[in-house]
Amino acid sequence: MSSGRTNSSAFSSGSPLRRLGPWLLLGVVIVATLSLAVFGTRDAPTTQDRVSSISRTVKCPVCSGESVAESNAPASQEIRRDIALRVQEGQTDDEIRSYYVARYGEAILLTPSASGINALVWILPVAALAVALAGLAIVFRRWSTEPAETASPEDRRLVEAALRGDETGSSELADPTDGHGEGDSR
Amino acid sequence: MNVALGRAGVTLGLVAAVLGVVTVGYGLVRRRPDLIRLSRAYAVLVFVGGIVAFIAMERALITRDFTVKFVADNGSSKTPALYNFATLWSALEGSIILWSAILGGYLVAVVFKFRKRLADPLVGWALLTMLAVAAFFFFLMAGPANPFENFSPPAGFDGPGPNPLLQNHPLMAFHPPMLYLGYVGFTVPFAFAIAALATGRVGEGWLLATRRWTLIAWGFLTAGIILGSWWSYEVLGWGGYWAWDPVENASFMPWLTGTAYLHSVMVQERRGMLRVWNISLLCATFALTILGTFITRSGVLESVHAFTESSIGPSLIAFFALIVLVTVGLIGWRGDRLRSPGRIDSPLSREGAFLANNVLFGAFAFVILLGTVFPLVVEAINNDRISVGVPYFNRMTMPIGLTLLFLMAIAPVLPWRKASAELLRHRLIWPAWVGAGAMVFAVAVGARGLAPVVAFGLGGFAAGSAGRQLVLAARRQGWRGLVGRANGGMVVHLGVVMIAVAFAASSSYVRQAEFTLRPGDTAEFAGHTLLYEGQNIKEESAKTINQALVRIDGTGPWAPSLNKFANGQTTIGTPSVRSTFTDDVALSVIDIRGGDDPSVTLRVTVQPLIIWLWIGGGVMALGTLLAVFPGKRRNPIDAVSSPLAGASPPEPEPEADRVVANA
Repeated sequence: MSSGRTNSSAFSSGSPLRRLGPWLLLGVVIVATLSLAVFGTRDAPTTQDRVSSISRTVKCPVCSGESVAESNAPASQEIRRDIALRVQEGQTDDEIRSYYVARYGEAILLTPSASGINALVWILPVAALAVALAGLAIVFRRWSTEPAETASPEDRRLVEAALRGDETGSSELADPTDGHGEGDSR
Repeated sequence: MNVALGRAGVTLGLVAAVLGVVTVGYGLVRRRPDLIRLSRAYAVLVFVGGIVAFIAMERALITRDFTVKFVADNGSSKTPALYNFATLWSALEGSIILWSAILGGYLVAVVFKFRKRLADPLVGWALLTMLAVAAFFFFLMAGPANPFENFSPPAGFDGPGPNPLLQNHPLMAFHPPMLYLGYVGFTVPFAFAIAALATGRVGEGWLLATRRWTLIAWGFLTAGIILGSWWSYEVLGWGGYWAWDPVENASFMPWLTGTAYLHSVMVQERRGMLRVWNISLLCATFALTILGTFITRSGVLESVHAFTESSIGPSLIAFFALIVLVTVGLIGWRGDRLRSPGRIDSPLSREGAFLANNVLFGAFAFVILLGTVFPLVVEAINNDRISVGVPYFNRMTMPIGLTLLFLMAIAPVLPWRKASAELLRHRLIWPAWVGAGAMVFAVAVGARGLAPVVAFGLGGFAAGSAGRQLVLAARRQGWRGLVGRANGGMVVHLGVVMIAVAFAASSSYVRQAEFTLRPGDTAEFAGHTLLYEGQNIKEESAKTINQALVRIDGTGPWAPSLNKFANGQTTIGTPSVRSTFTDDVALSVIDIRGGDDPSVTLRVTVQPLIIWLWIGGGVMALGTLLAVFPGKRRNPIDAVSSPLAGASPPEPEPEADRVVANA
């Protein structure tokens, strides 16, 4: 058996290197793998790949909600061919997209722009998450600074009454074993 | 005949539901157990009404009774039997019949399960709530969405049949009923939540009473969503399986809040906290199923201006508003009782992790709701038309999804109350190495890019963590280590990891191209060889199938096709997919020409790991079943110090924890 099972010092009070060693090694492996994943050689996207990635962000003008990449409508096929031409001409992704915005309007892009009222769709979720996290932080702070709730004299009177079996003390806690007031549903 | 039978069923259901609400309500207010117990009879009558309506419509469909307007609009003498049966839920009015019949079924099931406690006010209020919901749906069938309208067909009349897309794959027969079993199933815990508020018994009793009901509804919803995405992958032919379209989002939002509830409810069971929050989550889940029905069924999403064309929209939105008002009102009224004592000692604890889980699931649902309704809001404000589509949802939900995966890895090993860094280091080292191993493997086989590789790593981490819990439980308890909520939940986690990894891989590494081939031509794409053999035309009663026979890497022939339906003028494609455990090659025909110059234009989509979406869905369903199965665990409202029923209570992970505790 490993020493960790029999000798508590192996992982609880051993040398810092012994305790943290596996994690340091793990960190090194993760950093190395991620840098390879980000900076490693990869196949350059072909024209076809660029056409499909652009056409996934352009809405089919005659369907509801489908992208040009998904749709088989003639209009979409036409736009796919047009995007392919523009990619071959050397236009950038943004140039191609702004051409379609100029021609069909903002609704042609499946990603709303980050300007004007449309920016709300990007900002609101982040704001909501920030508010929720701030709320949690405040609650935790309060929990850690405030003392735990103590029983008030009123509470004590109720408990004593209940323990005596004196039902007039409280109708809610008629059953002393029923601390949550569950009644039959326990 | 069928119209009369159907209307009789609807009337029976409506009258029984309304009388049930009145009787049970009177009995509850006046404390008359004899009246409260009558809920049993009313529940059965509502169920009978729903079933009669269902049978009447199916009978009309099967006998092609075109005097029923719904059949004339949606049926056809050419539709094959299976799709003809499924026609009932392929249009709005019929799907309300299915909804009502299922709700009647749940009502009877609740009455049966709680048959010994029918006079208990908690059960009484719950049944009253369910009867009120049933009354609403029968009202829809009696008025705004009446499926049993008369129609006088001219001689030789034949209907158009259901939308061709809905009669192209057998999954259509299973996906909607599953989804509805899930949607409607959430009525049960919702009803008990309302009952808890109404009776003031807001403790943990109602949670335990509905624990399995919630799990079962959640399981059906999960299965329904996954079957739906499988259907769209096999039928729609664009190579994808999830388009973040309003219909999908409408089913996903209640799933998210329901999942949040399944987790946070454990905090309440264990610590008595989060009462308001849990009730709100359940009510939100139920309200979102109604809102989802409104969004998808009222036609509101096409444009705000189409709103008035729909007759069912106002009723649904009014019902949604009523649910929200009643819930908020009841919570406000019971505010004093809902305040729970207790505190969470440390964010680094099981309950802290559940809180974080809830924040993330809430944010996830919020993003989806916002993205779905935002175009409407903008159009209403300044008449601009904008689109919010796949790229938006993918970008916004990716960080949330990755954080959830991380949480899924950490949370299962966290103890209640407070965890030490020492403990975490000890328990997480192996799962962390599994995650690192997954990353190394992914990069070694050629995966590139930060987001997908991080997703694989976190997926491995979460899977390692879930696997660790399962192995420890199985060592302690044998096969019983696989059942019960905690262990079944870990199996569900494994399924979620499979889906997350498959989603990350398939959406990051999708390759798509179009090829025009003549018979005998081959094409190379993304490591696969396609050989076009030729065209094949098949005639069926409802459609003409124009297939392109294609060999993929020598296998096949695979036969994607264009189908021309006899009645509609529409031509729709049916893709053909070759699945392996590593990748899928999906073919769909864009154009096919015979004659002198035969050729086919094919769209080829190659995506890795797609099959793991469906396997993961199966694992999630299996895990849900295991979680429903009673495990050996303490009744959560007993004191933590009380002995475990039956079992000799071993400390969880005896060696490690004790050592750490002593240190």
